[in-house]
Amino acid sequence: MNRDNRLARALPDQTSAPGAPAAPKLDRTAQTRIGDKLRSMYADLVQQPVPDRFTALLTKLHESDSVAEKAERKA
Amino acid sequence: MSVDPEMRDALLAAVPSLRAFAISLSGQVDRADDLVQDTLLRALANIDRFERGTNLNAWLFTILRNLFHSEFRKRRREVEDPDGSFAGRLQVQPEQGAHLDFEDFRDALSRLPADQREALLLVGASGFSYEEAANICGCAVGTIKSRVNRARSRLAALLAVDGAEDLGPDRATRAALQTAAF
Repeated sequence: MNRDNRLARALPDQTSAPGAPAAPKLDRTAQTRIGDKLRSMYADLVQQPVPDRFTALLTKLHESDSVAEKAERKA
Repeated sequence: MSVDPEMRDALLAAVPSLRAFAISLSGQVDRADDLVQDTLLRALANIDRFERGTNLNAWLFTILRNLFHSEFRKRRREVEDPDGSFAGRLQVQPEQGAHLDFEDFRDALSRLPADQREALLLVGASGFSYEEAANICGCAVGTIKSRVNRARSRLAALLAVDGAEDLGPDRATRAALQTAAF
């Protein structure tokens, strides 16, 4: 693996990662970059607006519940 | 079925996370939304089995994950898919240009074996502990740990991350990877 100085600076504090997985060796810089990219991709998805179908599904359900409850009370 | 407003709100609040997981898992927004819808319907049908006060998200993720895998098995019988990466490329939505930034990353993610992808998503993105992820996947904690490690290493290789360069692979590396993959 080709490690330049910038990377070498990042390596010595490897021990500071609590509970860092040991097996397949992946240097911390690469691991951090992948982790960051994964979280930002995921955050981007989480922030997308919820499609109407889900709001509608749960709202409709609530209304039909209310109707059913009223019907039960009448019965 | 009786679902009180509080539960309904909790389910609705879980939708963004469920969608993010489903999209990342399946690689397709349409399929992901169908998965989320099926998950909500199944959750509602079994809401009496949910223990109040326990982790609703973990319960919902378990349902979604199981639905994903049963559908995957069904598809696999229908379509020849030797490497299991049926997700393929994410269908990029033209109206969401900003999401192009993540295209390379999602592409690499879709090339991981499904078990490694889900482990990485649960632990590395959805914020579940190794123990919770193990419960969701119905396997041992050690298995999750090794899947997450393998997923990270594989992603690093696919994206040609050596820590010194930017995350995106250069074209030559990428072309080589793609040639090697097919």
